[in-house]
Amino acid sequence: MNDQVRNGNSNDAVAGGAPGEAEATLRLIASLPPPQGLEERLHASLAEAPRRGRVLAWPAALNPGSAWMRSAAAAAIVSVVVGGGWGVYSRIPHAQQARSVILAPRGPAQGGFATAGAMRMPQTLNGPVVAHPQAAQPVEDKPAGKGAAPIVRNAPKPPNRASSASAEVTRIHVALQPAK
Amino acid sequence: MEIPDSSLVDGLRQTADEETLAALVSQYASTLYRVAFSVLRNAADAEDAVQEAFLRVLRHRQTLDEVRDRRVWLIRIVWNIVLDRKRRLKTRPETDDVAELARVLPSDDLSAEQITSAAQHHAHVLACVERLPVKEREVLMLSAFEELNSVEIASVLEISESSVRSRLFRARNLMAGLLDYSRSGQRRSLR
Repeated sequence: MNDQVRNGNSNDAVAGGAPGEAEATLRLIASLPPPQGLEERLHASLAEAPRRGRVLAWPAALNPGSAWMRSAAAAAIVSVVVGGGWGVYSRIPHAQQARSVILAPRGPAQGGFATAGAMRMPQTLNGPVVAHPQAAQPVEDKPAGKGAAPIVRNAPKPPNRASSASAEVTRIHVALQPAK
Repeated sequence: MEIPDSSLVDGLRQTADEETLAALVSQYASTLYRVAFSVLRNAADAEDAVQEAFLRVLRHRQTLDEVRDRRVWLIRIVWNIVLDRKRRLKTRPETDDVAELARVLPSDDLSAEQITSAAQHHAHVLACVERLPVKEREVLMLSAFEELNSVEIASVLEISESSVRSRLFRARNLMAGLLDYSRSGQRRSLR
């Protein structure tokens, strides 16, 4: 072997003195011969080693290498996995399907702004509520005089021009009638 | 054409793996033992570590074909095992290094007194090695193996080769400082 790459005993050594002594001692110990019969003892221990691990021998009929034993082992594994899975599945109560909450589309608030089709809207304070006029019960003012016709306020507007004309005629008739 | 039985193929593969493993044991058991002993410095612990390394290889023998350099791969396995064991053994009282070294070091043509003196010296050096920072100590210990070059040390420690060289340089400087300091301390105590 190449002497250049040897462990540097010749190249790197500090010249003479103590390190040389130390390495001489280490080299002396490193060169001690092994005890007698070491190889035989090692061979014997290695020959015994594989047998130690085998606790029970397989019977010849149940050879693990045979095809039917492999099939049986595969079937046993599948049955254990499927049975275990089914056991867990059957015991756990099924979760109900999540109900999707459908919110009614929000219309524009009274007097507010429209949502413009927004998916989410921030929670805001309710705006002022405008009171609706009571269209169903018109308030009648007191007549100004005996012969005066009653003035109807907040009356609903006549639906068309013809009905307004007839209402005008009726008012004239009432005004022309002599007071009783 | 007849399709071969899968069990037969598995059996053949297993036999091939076992043969490969046996070859690895024969080839690298000695190297792995020395790596383990250099860290643990106990023969029984080192043998246990080597055995554990081969058992790990046996468990992952399917990946043997993917390993590029089996020697470095095995050394890395046993290195990690011994570092882990050493971390655990720190809770135990330390063994008598001097006595253990006197027992295992070569003692040809040496008197008992010389053997004890040499063992004491080596134990002192090893105690200084233990005081090095972990990174520097690991590189210094692996550099003591003649069969490992800096590229292989880098592969065992999973660092770059330049890091190996810089750590080795620092380790040598630190060792010089530690040994000089201990020597000057001894001189002062003798006076």
